[in-house]
Amino acid sequence: MVRWGLVIDLDKCTACQACVVACRVENNVPIGGEEEVRKERAIFWNQFFSEIHGEYPNVRLHMFPRPCMHCEDPPCVPVCPVDATYKDKDGRVLVRYDKCIGCRYCMVACPYGARYFNWFTPEYGEGHGNHLNPDVVRDGEGWIVGPSPRPRGVVEKCTLCVQRIERAKEEGTPLGSEHEGGVVSACAQTCPAFAISFGDLEDPSSDVYRLSKDKRAFRLLEDLGTRPQVYYLSEG
Amino acid sequence: MKLTRRDAIKLGVAAGAAAYATYRLGGFESLLRPAASGGYSSGALTESRVASVCLQCPAGCGIVVRVVDGRAVKIEGNPTHPINLGRLCPKGQIGLQILYDPDRIKQPYVREELWQAFQEGSLSAYLAAETRDRTPEDLIPVPGATADEQWDNALEVAAAALRLIRESSAPGEGPHQLLFMSGRNRGQMGGFIDRFCAAYGTPNHIGHSSICADGSPMAHWATQGWKAYSGYDWDNTNYLLCFGGAFLEAWRPTTRLLRAHGTMRQGRPVRAKIVQVDVRFSVTAAKADEWIPIKPGTDGALALGIAHVIIQANLYDAAYVQEHTFGFEDWTDPNGAQHVGWKNVVLQDYAPELVSGITGVPVETIERVAREFATTRPAIAAGERGASMQTNGVYNRIAIHALNALVGSFGRVGGPIRQREPPLASVPAATQDENAIAGGAQPAFDFRGTIYYPLAGKVYQGVPDFILGKPDPGGRILVPPYRAKALLCYYTNPLYSTPDNARWEEAIRRIPFVMTFSPFMDETTAHADLILPDSTYLERWHDDVIYPSLGFPVVGLRQPVVDPLYATRNTGDVLIQLAQHLGGTVAQSFPWADFLEFLKARYQGIFASGRGRVGDIPLSGIASFEGFWETFAREGVWSDPPYAFEDWAFTFATPSGRFEFYSQLLHEKLEHLAEEEAKKIQDPPPSSLVDQKLDQILEGLGLTARGDRVFLPHFEPPQYVGEETVFPLHLVTYKLMVHAEGRGANVPLLREVMPSHLRGMTNWDTWAEIHPETARAYGIQDGDLMWIESPVKDDRGSLRRIRVRARLYEGARPDTVAMPFELGHTAYGRWAKGMGQNPNRILANQYDLLGGLAAFSPTRIRVSPAGGG
Ligand code: SF4
Ligand code: SF4
Ligand code: SF4
Repeated sequence: MVRWGLVIDLDKCTACQACVVACRVENNVPIGGEEEVRKERAIFWNQFFSEIHGEYPNVRLHMFPRPCMHCEDPPCVPVCPVDATYKDKDGRVLVRYDKCIGCRYCMVACPYGARYFNWFTPEYGEGHGNHLNPDVVRDGEGWIVGPSPRPRGVVEKCTLCVQRIERAKEEGTPLGSEHEGGVVSACAQTCPAFAISFGDLEDPSSDVYRLSKDKRAFRLLEDLGTRPQVYYLSEG
Repeated sequence: MKLTRRDAIKLGVAAGAAAYATYRLGGFESLLRPAASGGYSSGALTESRVASVCLQCPAGCGIVVRVVDGRAVKIEGNPTHPINLGRLCPKGQIGLQILYDPDRIKQPYVREELWQAFQEGSLSAYLAAETRDRTPEDLIPVPGATADEQWDNALEVAAAALRLIRESSAPGEGPHQLLFMSGRNRGQMGGFIDRFCAAYGTPNHIGHSSICADGSPMAHWATQGWKAYSGYDWDNTNYLLCFGGAFLEAWRPTTRLLRAHGTMRQGRPVRAKIVQVDVRFSVTAAKADEWIPIKPGTDGALALGIAHVIIQANLYDAAYVQEHTFGFEDWTDPNGAQHVGWKNVVLQDYAPELVSGITGVPVETIERVAREFATTRPAIAAGERGASMQTNGVYNRIAIHALNALVGSFGRVGGPIRQREPPLASVPAATQDENAIAGGAQPAFDFRGTIYYPLAGKVYQGVPDFILGKPDPGGRILVPPYRAKALLCYYTNPLYSTPDNARWEEAIRRIPFVMTFSPFMDETTAHADLILPDSTYLERWHDDVIYPSLGFPVVGLRQPVVDPLYATRNTGDVLIQLAQHLGGTVAQSFPWADFLEFLKARYQGIFASGRGRVGDIPLSGIASFEGFWETFAREGVWSDPPYAFEDWAFTFATPSGRFEFYSQLLHEKLEHLAEEEAKKIQDPPPSSLVDQKLDQILEGLGLTARGDRVFLPHFEPPQYVGEETVFPLHLVTYKLMVHAEGRGANVPLLREVMPSHLRGMTNWDTWAEIHPETARAYGIQDGDLMWIESPVKDDRGSLRRIRVRARLYEGARPDTVAMPFELGHTAYGRWAKGMGQNPNRILANQYDLLGGLAAFSPTRIRVSPAGGG
């Protein structure tokens, strides 16, 4: 059994947001524009968060990227009335874009705010449509789960770059951060600080397996019992 | 009942059909057909990965571009490129939005009036105009039935204008009247422009580093004898004391520094300590272990206070200081004159109590950090623009740099290192005719290296004042002995990026001929007479020698990953073509068919060295130059690791062969200028006259130090602009990672990225960070619009002000307002134009006169609520 996951080392993280940008390019996430950003409707499968504590000059700022947690017990899945979202056999939580009816129950259910709704037909501008990723991934039943542009009215989210992983499997390329040249998610691929590891949480020889057991490891909102497959390593 | 989207489509319900239409975008028609099975497909007919080099900043990261059916669809890092090891920063990731920007300039453009003048043979009159008003609406595509014809016509117009200027026999006229301003000159491009200027006959290639970070190379020159940025062995240091360098936001080489942050934290025996001295709580400060807030422009004083503690407590590396430095103890020169050593200057002048008063840093902090720094080795003291682009920037940087000598870091593992250059082959110098020789011998337009700006290699930001005959920040009216007749701009946009940039509005009117090579309609290009648009970095051949960092030489090769989308041309090629059109010795100086051929000539040297590796392949195993070039183009990078540490003669290229606390080079330079001045009165001059002239020069530079201290690391008080009583706050500017190089405003995806350190702020607005108490005192709430008013006046004598969104920030000093550079464009495409504010509107044009550099933080301001919301 495979269980894909990420470990994000916040001590190494530089808050550069290369992961955020790489994700959007890889996955054909549309530009929302000024209004959308203001209304907090812009789509970030991997979104950056910050929180400031303290008073001048004793301030601390905590910053972290938040992909989908690919929860082992995902609250977003059982609420879907049409089975458009599901936990796949490799431990990913995916959305079948051509099955989603846009009821947004899952968005309410997700405690991490990791799901986004397409309020508008995505626009890529006159020129920028040229760099769209042509990859298509369908699940076993033929539904689209990977990165083709999503229509208006459906929910989308991080897939752990399902297209990169499925392609590597087909081509027999090694997968995971522990392999030199191993295929990983777009965020892990670009992270200049080598802060993000991608791999199989079930594989004792993987980076993510080892790091997820590090004494600095923690998960977001652990007490909710969602059991995220994304781990963080604390600063310091 | 369960309703699926497929049902919805069958029923014609919802926006199903419209939604599905979007699947057609980018050729996804196949998706409309129901699929029989699952799995991955790309529907691609052809797919390749092409190695090249990023150009979103000067780091020179290796990239690999995924190209599908002729479209570039993803940029990733090149794993074998040592600067980025397969990784990229956010700017590198988004290069495709530069390539596919619909607002690119797609062919050459000319001002209609210029085209007419060219056709009617009245170019001389056009070039004789005293002033010229221009708007982008005057620009027309250069006529021509084909792209080649358009380019031929454009080049002929350019050559005709430049020929007239070059060959004018009127007194004071000639090729020196051409100013060639340039910015991101990577690899051989800077030298190529130098070559063009030499062949044409102008001393006026004016690069933009005097508004960038020139303070650092000057500090390295004064103390180590070489004028370049320094590398640092970050991976092996255990303590980083960083003054005003935005390590994680704007310092270069970006991706390398981001990786270094990781390697300083984890996967090593000791977690390095990072202390950030900064005027604001930046992302860099937040990710450091400690933030030391400091009053703008006083970084040098803090460094000297730290030195005081280290020396006083005898914590310095005495053996290193003895063996590798000059001027630490009191000394006697060969003429028998006594000189005070730096040690005694520091002990006398920079007691922590005094330094605390200047910097606002508590005495305990100075003492503690000094002890930590001196006892946690190897340690690095580094500094960048926050410390160096100040009125006292060069001395600040010298003082910071000197801390490395105290703890024995230079040239050693875990310390500052000097970058080695790649072994490129030289090519014969440009051929010069009489015109070129006469023009090249004229004094430079920007007064570089004179008594006014002794250390400057260029004074980019001064150009409008020199054109208009307006006083410089030293109150001196400097008028070159000739008029600027032509301005060429390559990868630089002075009308936007110069402090007090409104000075350019009139200055550019006074230049009869303006030509740019920009692929985008930036502010300067909008004022051009002729545009010869470059191809973007993903469409052209261009090498890149890495920004000083790793120490060992690394070069990369940029190549077209897709065919040029439009009728644009590589500026390297265009300079050759322009030279051909100009003919004579200018043409002779450019004997290459194109820029690629020139690059190959230079890179023969790398092949001949037999050293290093191409990608991962040892060069020694490659038999021919053709084989080398083919491998180089495929792999995208050549490098020659490892770095040899402790090469003292290379590390210290000073007269003494040591780190010079007492800078003999600085002494020599200023003494020489003083002598030249004295000679104007009496030749040979008596030494008292030289001393008197030196004193006058220092006076003119606004320096307070005299005697030996001038040549030693010391503190010069910053010169703020504006009365504290009227303008009670400081304004500082900064850069965001996603736009660090200030060129990202036209990239929608970067605009959409929210700042890492502020919640709920979009990049469509310019914000200013202000301390909550300060804001309250002025009746300003978080998110309110706020006026920032500076002492800079407009033509009508009113104070200049800009309206920005106030962000109450606990990380702001109560006396300092901080705002990012990036927005406030009046041109530059649909995503940039007319949005946000440009701080340069209200920044005073203030310098470090010694270095001729722009100071970005001396402006005082006042704020007030602007109403609205
Ligand atoms: S790319 Fe890496 S360093 Fe940058 S924000 Fe993402 S996790 Fe942090
Ligand atoms: S993070 Fe949210 S969207 Fe992702 S699996 Fe968990 S509940 Fe579902
Ligand atoms: S650091 Fe500079 S060169 Fe490297 S990816 Fe970022 S923008 Fe490109």
